[in-house]
Amino acid sequence: MNEADYKELKKGGMMRQVEVGLFSVRLHVVGGRLSTPQLRAIREAADRFGRGEIHLTSRQGVEIPHVPQDALAALKELLAPSGVGVGVCGPTVRTVTACQGCRVCPSGVIDSPELACAVDRELYGKPVPHKFKVGISGCVNNCMKAEENDAGIKGWIEPRWEGSACAFCGICQAVCPTKAISTSGDGKALTIDETLCIGCGDCIASCPTGSMREKIRGYRVFAGGKFGRRPSLGRRILGVLQTKEEVMAAIVAVLGFFREHGKPRERFGDTLQRTGFPALETFVKERTGLQ
Amino acid sequence: MTTPLLDITGDVCPMTFVKVKMGLQRVLPLGTLIVRLKEEALKNVISSLKTEGHRVTNVSREGTIFLLEVEKTTGATK
Repeated sequence: MNEADYKELKKGGMMRQVEVGLFSVRLHVVGGRLSTPQLRAIREAADRFGRGEIHLTSRQGVEIPHVPQDALAALKELLAPSGVGVGVCGPTVRTVTACQGCRVCPSGVIDSPELACAVDRELYGKPVPHKFKVGISGCVNNCMKAEENDAGIKGWIEPRWEGSACAFCGICQAVCPTKAISTSGDGKALTIDETLCIGCGDCIASCPTGSMREKIRGYRVFAGGKFGRRPSLGRRILGVLQTKEEVMAAIVAVLGFFREHGKPRERFGDTLQRTGFPALETFVKERTGLQ
Repeated sequence: MTTPLLDITGDVCPMTFVKVKMGLQRVLPLGTLIVRLKEEALKNVISSLKTEGHRVTNVSREGTIFLLEVEKTTGATK
């Protein structure tokens, strides 16, 4: 087999192993969720075509290693009825990771698995200058490490202060982990520094009088994160978004920017180092009308 | 009758709220319990109190120590 053929196989999620003729087959998993019939089909495939071994990847993926090249087609065929497809590799939009979200986790602010499925449907496997990873955390506890992804999303609670009932007890200021809340000079108003606020909602949860309230229970988008050899953290773009549709529009626009400005084999974070984050923000705002 | 005082400055979550819950068991509905606690216990204790329907009616502080006056809900059976 020549290199071009290997490249094609790799794009389709079949990764060449050290041992000649064997492949590790990456499966298409969204948000780390598999049904038990799917798991049975994966077990069957690993038993029949591999060595009865399954590898869990660092990003909620599943791979079946030790599959001979001539068994790849049969393995795909065996998995297909359960709805498990093969994954992707190479310069594409990769596995979308997600936590369990607000339907399961008491800390959850957004339905991260549902959003992961929407992102996956729209973007999974699409060609981009270099691999592009999307990770979705249901809240700012950030189990899915949004800032490690090329595009990361976090559930976010933006607070607002309603002065009429406030007793100025100081609790919101004491619990705020970033000291984003301050009292005005005359002591009659509280201000929230939006640049410091991390959207945890602790001020709202602990306010005895209900003066700290939810302004938006929504989403924050981060861009340009990566790990690998030279890790860098993604940075937040746009304000707090209110709907799943807005988030989708933002991510599609972010990818559009990467396609226009990214060089082949250049990670998105490196593209942003060249262009600067403001260029991305301007582009996304123009494309989506979001602020 | 003096208002009962519960000091949980030496406790950590979840014992902080467990002790507040036990303290409130000894208070009649609409009665008050004063809870003395550290800053780091504020969020969990207050949010749990609110979830259970109790009210924090007054707050004072001694440096980093807070004193909460907690009014027991009428709905509480225990």
